[in-house]
Amino acid sequence: MTPMLELRDLRAGYGGIDVLHGIDLTIASGEVVALLGPNGAGKTTALATISGQISPSGGTVSLMGHNVNGVRPDRLARAGVCLVPEGRGVFPNLTVRENLIMSTYTGVSISSIEERAYELFPRLGDRRGQTAGTLSGGEQQMLAMSRAMTTDPALLLLDELSMGLAPMIVAELYERVGELAQKGLSILIVEQFAQAVLGVADRAVVMVNGEIRTVGAPADISRQLAEAYLGG
Amino acid sequence: MKLSPANYAAIALTVAGAIVMSALNWSGRPVSVATVGSMLVVGVTLGSIYAVSASGLVVVYTTTGVFNFAQGAMGMYWAFVYWELRFNRNWPAPIAIGLVVLVMAPLGGVVLDRLVMRRLRGTPLVLQLMVTVGLMLGFMGLAATQWKGDRGRNAQPFFGRSGGFELLGVNVTWHRFTTICVAVLLAVLLRLLLHRSRIGVAMRAVVDSRSLTSLTGANPEIISGLAWALGSSLAAVAGILIAPESGLVVELLTLVVVDAFAAAAVGRLQSLPLTFLGAMVLGIGQQFMRSFLDFPGGFSNADRALPTILLFVVVLALPQAKLHVRGTASAASARIRRVTPLSDAALGGLALIVVVVSWSGGLVPFVDEWTGTGVNRGVTMMITAIIMLSLVPLTGWAGQVNFAPLAFAGFGAVMFLKVAGDSGQAWGLLMAALLTAPVGALMALPAVRLQGLYLALASMAFARGFELLFFTQSSVIDSGAGERIASLHFAGWQLDGRGRGYLIFLTVVFAAGVVGLIALKRSRYGRRWMAIHDSEAAAATLGISLVETKVIVFGISAAIAGFGGALFGIQQATLNPSQFTLLLGLPIVLLLVVGGVAYPAAALFGGVNTILFIVIKERLGWSWLSALEILGPGLMAVAMVVNTRGAVTDMGRAFSPLLPWRQDAREQLRLGHASSREDEIGELGLDRPFTRDHVNDLDKHLGIVDLIPATPSAESRGGL
Ligand SMILES: Nc1ncnc2c1ncn2[C@@H]1O[C@H](COP(=O)(O)OP(=O)(O)O)[C@@H](O)[C@H]1O
Ligand SMILES: [Mg+2]
Repeated sequence: MTPMLELRDLRAGYGGIDVLHGIDLTIASGEVVALLGPNGAGKTTALATISGQISPSGGTVSLMGHNVNGVRPDRLARAGVCLVPEGRGVFPNLTVRENLIMSTYTGVSISSIEERAYELFPRLGDRRGQTAGTLSGGEQQMLAMSRAMTTDPALLLLDELSMGLAPMIVAELYERVGELAQKGLSILIVEQFAQAVLGVADRAVVMVNGEIRTVGAPADISRQLAEAYLGG
Repeated sequence: MKLSPANYAAIALTVAGAIVMSALNWSGRPVSVATVGSMLVVGVTLGSIYAVSASGLVVVYTTTGVFNFAQGAMGMYWAFVYWELRFNRNWPAPIAIGLVVLVMAPLGGVVLDRLVMRRLRGTPLVLQLMVTVGLMLGFMGLAATQWKGDRGRNAQPFFGRSGGFELLGVNVTWHRFTTICVAVLLAVLLRLLLHRSRIGVAMRAVVDSRSLTSLTGANPEIISGLAWALGSSLAAVAGILIAPESGLVVELLTLVVVDAFAAAAVGRLQSLPLTFLGAMVLGIGQQFMRSFLDFPGGFSNADRALPTILLFVVVLALPQAKLHVRGTASAASARIRRVTPLSDAALGGLALIVVVVSWSGGLVPFVDEWTGTGVNRGVTMMITAIIMLSLVPLTGWAGQVNFAPLAFAGFGAVMFLKVAGDSGQAWGLLMAALLTAPVGALMALPAVRLQGLYLALASMAFARGFELLFFTQSSVIDSGAGERIASLHFAGWQLDGRGRGYLIFLTVVFAAGVVGLIALKRSRYGRRWMAIHDSEAAAATLGISLVETKVIVFGISAAIAGFGGALFGIQQATLNPSQFTLLLGLPIVLLLVVGGVAYPAAALFGGVNTILFIVIKERLGWSWLSALEILGPGLMAVAMVVNTRGAVTDMGRAFSPLLPWRQDAREQLRLGHASSREDEIGELGLDRPFTRDHVNDLDKHLGIVDLIPATPSAESRGGL
């Protein structure tokens, strides 16, 4: 079966200087993969390349067997690639509802998006007229996630969902990720630490200095990472 | 909007001021239903004109993140196009309107986005300001080129001049009624568009985050293009509606929208309803002044100055936290700054003096013959350069935008006229400079609170206020009396304002000014200026007093400009108010920035260009060059989107490695780009005395490579 996402010897970077030095990675349809690694490893760069924000300087990105090198990010988004970016992936000066309106560019109607978003995250429903910049960090992340949850993407890319959030909220968000995984969505989750993703990921990949170091079961990788951090 | 007690106090003060002013200038004309009614009807029409113009500004700002100084000039341009089709070629009105508003203007907006605006993304705010002001002059120049001022043009109101209906005893023409309807309709429709429709929401989303917009599946490029198409269309609507009222004159039409800045500022550039309110206050207020107040002679422009005063007050008094100024104040580009050694500056100055002396002595063949320029052109060039020099410390080093250098210059000229106009004694020049410095410090008052765009707006208001209320006073400039300024008496010489001796004197003054400024830049003051340019917050934590620093730099800048203005007065011999307008000041700012505002050499570059445009126009005599002196600076400023560094930077980069003693320049060339510097600086606590150690800390923070012998702790050359 054609994999959902296939990276072959992928190289990419900023201003002519490569940050990724030949990444090979495959995500099968319905698979959940955790991409782990220290700060500056190139995880965000990898997601930016997959989502079309950066053009690869070498190698290929293939979606369902199609080479998508150089395809614009908005086209990829409409084709079903959904990236929830690092930090707060919301428009701070737009209201919650207006943020949801922006999700309709994927072709889903606003009524269906609103209905599902407010059902999944009732707190957003209470704050629909509030500007997103004034929401708490957790609420902003829920709003960002609701784009993933309501637009039925084919491939979901999550960048450090847990960053700066309370454990309770992280748990709630990952519960939602688990539901998406259950539905058979292919997901690539980027985190610095393995703990958060242990419950949902089928496989874990460790990236250091723009190269893939290890691939394995999440539990094993988690143990290795813990040893590495403690040992280092 | 949340108002603080200080805001309420400011508003109360403004209202009280307005009441006192009204009481003092009450004309005693009867207040009746008829007069008040007529005031309201005309005022609302006027307010509608402002509302249409200001909503364009607000919509462009919220959908593109750019405050478009050229909005008025664009409207003016489309009004001319409309006139051309409708009245010169007699096309039917609906077709002409449709073509201009729905086809040509939107296309023009898209082209503008493609060629200029998209390159402005992520550039320093100063560049955005200069480029849009450049566009303003560009459109003005273009219109003046296409439609020469040699004949009168008339844009007929819609549905003719007569007709209409009676309201409160006033005849409301159909044109005015249309204007009011369009203003109300636009306020409602634009609000719906921006907040209810997906494309409108997307336009605002793009300003928030381009990359996130593209991640949602929307194409930010198309959305920005649409936003500019909309903005251009709104400009066209405003221009076409205003033209019959203001007259089809390039400057007048452009300035109506400059007046509308005040209304947009009331809406804090975001809120359409508040903008509408501001526009109505402006329109009715102006009409109230015309109906019921009489101002003594010199203040006869008071009604026209109302928008300026309101802009100044609003920018100063309204809370700013929400006025998210976009773009960064200074480009945090990686660089090492090199402070020019005094010896280099002195050498450059000497070289300049030699060149000018030999040129004015006829020793440089060909130049004179080809240019046909007499010494007087050289005088104009040097005076312009000196006035431009005033902006180098202010804008180039301290990062304070100022569109009012000509107001300061004019003030200096007036002071010279008063203190030494008869005798032409040279000490009068110093007096003029000294007397102008406090005016600069006055301008620093708003600057303490304002940054970037708001400072730019305040300085424009300042310049326009001076133009309308100060220079027009007969006690300031008595144009009728024919006061003459004598030629300069200096050290026993009598220097005619258009003669060779004067030119050489000016050159020496300019060279001395450059050396003096470089010395200032090397002092602790200069470092403080650069520090507040980099980051006011960081500068404050270094113990730098923002108030004191800004007051000093504004004072110095104004003094230089005032000095230059006095020199200008000597050249001109007579003064009149039209020499010191806001519009005439803009090319001075732009040409300096084009040269590279942080370098004194750019002032010379700017002076040369000023003359060059005039000479080219005269020598070639092609009719399409007739507006070159505004078109040229405008287009050059717009071209800065391609080369953001300023022309003299590149010249310097190419030239300085050739100098035998500039090992560092060669090294830098070899390394390509300068190494990066730390962005963060250590906490040093507030309000500490500014010691040598602070200077060293600042140097490290600013990445200054200095040749001053450093104390052991201050080794700051590590970057190379
Ligand atoms: N916009 C950028 N321009 C230049 N370099 C960048 C940019 N973003 C990231 N980098 C560099 O790329 C490397 C990888 O960064 P990133 O992909 O953000 O790592 P991670 O997400 O794993 O923390 C880092 O060394 C970082 O400095
Ligand atoms: Mg990252």
